[in-house]
Parts: sequence; structure tokens; C-alpha cells
Amino acid sequence: MDRLLDNYHYAAAAILFCIGLYSVIVRPNIIKKIIGLNIMETSVFLLLVSMGWKDGGIAPIHGGGAEAAAMVNPIPQALILTGIVVAVSTTAVALSLVILLYRQYGTLDVDRLMKEEESESAPAGAGSGEG
Amino acid sequence: MGAYRHFPILIIAVPLVTAVLMPALSYRRERLCMPVAAAALSLSTMLTFLLYRVVRPAADGYLSYHLGGWDPPWGIEIKVDFAGLFMLSVICSISLLCLLYSRDYIGRELEGGRAFAYYSLFLLLSASMLGFTATGDIFNMFVFMEILALSSYALVAVTGRRNAVRAAFKYLLMGAPSSIMVLLAIALLYSATGSLNMAQLKELLAEGAYSRVVFASLVLMVMGFGVKAALFPLHSWLPDAHSIAPSPISAMLSGLVVEVAAFALLRLFLSVYGSGSGAVSGTSEALGVIAAAGVLFGGFMAIFQKDFKMMIAYSTISHIGYIVLGISIMNEQALTGALYHLLDHGLAKGCFFLCAGAFIYQRGYRRIDELKGAARRMPMTCTAFALAALSVIGIPPTAGFISKWYLIWGSVAGGKYLYAAVYLIGSILAAAYCLRVVYYMFFVAPPPGVWEGGPGEAPPLMVVPVWVLSLATLVMGAASFVVINRLQEAARLLL
Repeated sequence: MDRLLDNYHYAAAAILFCIGLYSVIVRPNIIKKIIGLNIMETSVFLLLVSMGWKDGGIAPIHGGGAEAAAMVNPIPQALILTGIVVAVSTTAVALSLVILLYRQYGTLDVDRLMKEEESESAPAGAGSGEG
Repeated sequence: MGAYRHFPILIIAVPLVTAVLMPALSYRRERLCMPVAAAALSLSTMLTFLLYRVVRPAADGYLSYHLGGWDPPWGIEIKVDFAGLFMLSVICSISLLCLLYSRDYIGRELEGGRAFAYYSLFLLLSASMLGFTATGDIFNMFVFMEILALSSYALVAVTGRRNAVRAAFKYLLMGAPSSIMVLLAIALLYSATGSLNMAQLKELLAEGAYSRVVFASLVLMVMGFGVKAALFPLHSWLPDAHSIAPSPISAMLSGLVVEVAAFALLRLFLSVYGSGSGAVSGTSEALGVIAAAGVLFGGFMAIFQKDFKMMIAYSTISHIGYIVLGISIMNEQALTGALYHLLDHGLAKGCFFLCAGAFIYQRGYRRIDELKGAARRMPMTCTAFALAALSVIGIPPTAGFISKWYLIWGSVAGGKYLYAAVYLIGSILAAAYCLRVVYYMFFVAPPPGVWEGGPGEAPPLMVVPVWVLSLATLVMGAASFVVINRLQEAARLLL
């Protein structure tokens, strides 16, 4: 129990991850699914950055006689920076697909999209355009 | 060594940079996009094949490039060993053929100056696959995986049709959480070891510290890459995305994208976690069962499909099962078979989808029924399909026979007779779904109203890639001796 209390940030990351995964899987609205994806990503960032943190740590800049032991680990922060860029790009692609989907189907509801899918594939199988 | 030192980065950077230049080029000279893209990929292909002169299957036979001059383990390392080089050459050659094929196909799909986006994304996809295969840094691998994933979502949707956008979104909804799982796995691995360099990770993990964290990270990795590779229970995005995407992209997705994910599993098991570790042996047991189920499931589903491309997509699920099953057996012969199957699957499935594309391009025929009597009007395409089908089934002397031979040999040598039976049943299923189509094409009279009048054989730039791929399955089978011994040596080194 003490170990859990000391590492409350890991628990927070795990909870956030589950919240995100829940909304990706369960929510029928695709915008909410994308928000869920972002929550999942954020939870991993939280895990990573809390891993490299130390209480009272200083910026990892050498010179001025700073001790290496007192510094926070900069690598997780660098990783997250890249991770955020990746997350933003994924969100951008996802949202642009959502715009296209809404234009084509006029709905953001996954259940209704799946019904459309069934009605599209049922009559022809071949009729739904080439490609 | 000399100039060879810089080849690993050039192979990746040339298509990557050209991809970014495409929109600018299209602003002035739209028509030049395709030739420039082809030139960039040809250069990469040439450099890759030149590397066979220096990269050998020996402990010191690899090339390592340190990005920005930062030495590993601090900097990013690009490492080309023999197995990686083999995968790189498969990626380069098949991408190049698909790109040539795209000229006519995409020229008609994306009219009015929209084709540059396609070529830009295509080059991004190729470059990211090359980087993904060659990198020796696990976080860099994640970044390349994301470029790969994003460009393939976009390429599935590139035509902007209703069902294409839906298939792409479905792909994204499965793909994006899987990427996050891989990132989480990398975070766990970093917390346990404090390193991101694959070679160093292997040394650190061999000490066996934090075994539970390491095990959790491996399971997350397998789940993440399992979605990307469309392993059996995680495959549901694949039939839609692969059958609805433009045919050259189907060929890329099926022949290469799922394959590099399977190759990543191999890399993780052998070059990161190490085959001796308890985490790997436990996970690979489970993976073997799943992959065997996938072989049978994909094969059965393929038999019952009405849509030609859907059938090929299910066949892909079955064949990814072959590769992953080979990896999970973890002995020298099975690994050799799995590596050789990467080549065979890329060639044969690439050829299948390009054939399907030729039928769609010429006549708009997608259903298997509509292929009855196709050989009367498109004999070249149908013959190429039949040749590639022999390789998918595994009839000598095709490449499919060689890889299955090694896979079955490996499963018998490892004492897994059941898996050998799975491979044989998989071949029978493949014979069932492939020969049905071949029979329709050659020996059944076309139904009334189908194949009457209208265009016949596809344009030469579409027929040539189809034939190169299908002849390659034959040549790589008959002449497997050029590479198979060195591949076996590489497999022995990986273990």
C-alpha cells in the first residue's frame, strides 16, 4: 500500500489509460473516441515524464558545478516531445477523416455507420464503387 | 567500406525527402511527380542491393550508422544486418513495382492534379517501412511505425469514396490504440532498463531484472504489433482496408505493411528481449497457438468470399499466421522459413492484388463470379495470377514451396508436429481458394453479358509489374540457393 501511495502518479496514469481505452471502445460517438485516444496518449506521457522526475530536481544543464545526481532525467521529456508531435498528427488525420465521414454519411454515430456498412455491402458486394 | 558507410541512412532519407518535395513539384510540374518518385525509389533499391556486397551473415557483418554522429547507446543507431537487409530489399523492390503500376491506375482514380498527394504518401510509406526495418533504436522504431500507420490510413482513404473513408477510419480506430500500447511498452522497458538502444537493451535484459515489468512490456508490444500485423483475433480492420484501398495500395498493405509488423515481432523477440528469456518463451508459446488459429481461420474465410480482393485479404491473414507461427517456433529452420516467407508472401500477394487491380481497371469486375472466362480476354494477367497462386499454395519449384519446406522442417525439428499439420492444412485451404479462381478463369465459359466486347489486356505498365512479381516467385523458388544458406546463417545468428 505504501508503495502505491509513493507512486500515485503511476496509478493516475493507469486510471487515465483505462478511461481513454473505455471511451475508445464503448462510446458510439467518433469524436469522443478520438478524445479517448488522446486521453490514452496523455496517460502514457504522464507515466514517462513522472519516471524521469525527481523531487527538487534541477534542469540537466552541465556547467556551473551542478551535480549529475541532482538533475531530472531529460530523455523521457525528449521522448514525450516527440510523442506529442505524433499524437497531434494522429489526431489531425483522425479529425480530417471524421470530416470526410460526416460529409459522406451525415452522422458521427458508429452504430449508424455500421448499419450503413451492412446496407452497402448487402445488395451488390461489387456495386459499391471500384477502388 | 568507404561510401557504404552512409548507405543505410541514404536508403531511408532519399524517399523521405522526395516525399516532402512532391507537393512543391506538383505546383510547377504535376506530370513529373511519378517519374521523380520512381527515381527516388530506384535509387534506394540500387543502394540496398549494393549493400549485399558488404553485409554478411556474420557476427560483425552488419553496418551501423550513427545519426548525427552521436554514438549509441546515446544517439540513434541505424543498423543493417543480413536479415534486415533481406527485408529492406523485399520492401524496396515491391514498392518500386507497385509505384510503376500506380501510374495508370492512380492517374484515372485521382484526376485533376490530385495524384501528387498519392505519390507523396506512397514515398512516405516506403521510407517509413525502410526506417522501421533498419533502425536499431526502439523509440525511433515507434516514430517510423507512426509515420507508416498515418500514411497508410491516408492511402486507404485517398480516393475519398464513402466506403474508403469508412474503412480508413476503422483502420485508424484499431491502429491508433495499438500504437499507444507500443509506446506504453517502450515506456515500461525504459523504466526497467534506462536504455532505448536495441543492442544495449538485449544485454541489460539478459540480467533478468524487473522481470514482471519486462514481461508486461513484451505482452503490450505483441498486442500492439499484433494489430498492425493483423494477427488473427486482432485482424478485423484488414479485410475492409485491404479490399477497399486502391489496388496498388492493397498490394503494399498486404505484401509489405503487415509483413514489416511481423518482422518487428521477430526483431523484438530475438534482438531486444532475447530468445533465452522467460518472457519470450512464454509469449511465443501463446503466440504460436494464436497464429495457428489465424492460419486456419484466414484460409476458411477466404474460401467463402465472393469479392476477389476480400478473398486475397483473408488469405493474407492466413499467411501472416504462417510467418508468426514460424517466428514462435524459434528454431533455425523455422526462422529461415519465416524470413523466406516474408519474400514469398510479398511477391505473391503483391501479384494477386495487382491482378485484381488490372481486372478492376479494365472492366470494373470485383466479384469472383465475374472472373469466369477471364483468360479469354486477359490471358497475360490470368497466367500471372495462376503462377503466383502456385506459390501461395506451395507447389515446387516456387518460393512458397521453399519457405513452407523450411517452416515444416522447423516445426518437426522443434517437436511441434501439430504445427506441421497446420501448415499442411493451410496449404490445402490455399489450394481450395486459389484453384477455384484459376479454374473459373481458364475453364469456365463466361456468363452472358460478362467479358463481351470492351477493353482486353491492361496497359503494359500494369502488366509488367504483375509479371515481374509472378516470375519472381518462380525464380526465387528455383534459384533459392542464392540466398537461402546465408539466410539460415543469419537466422542462426539471431537466435
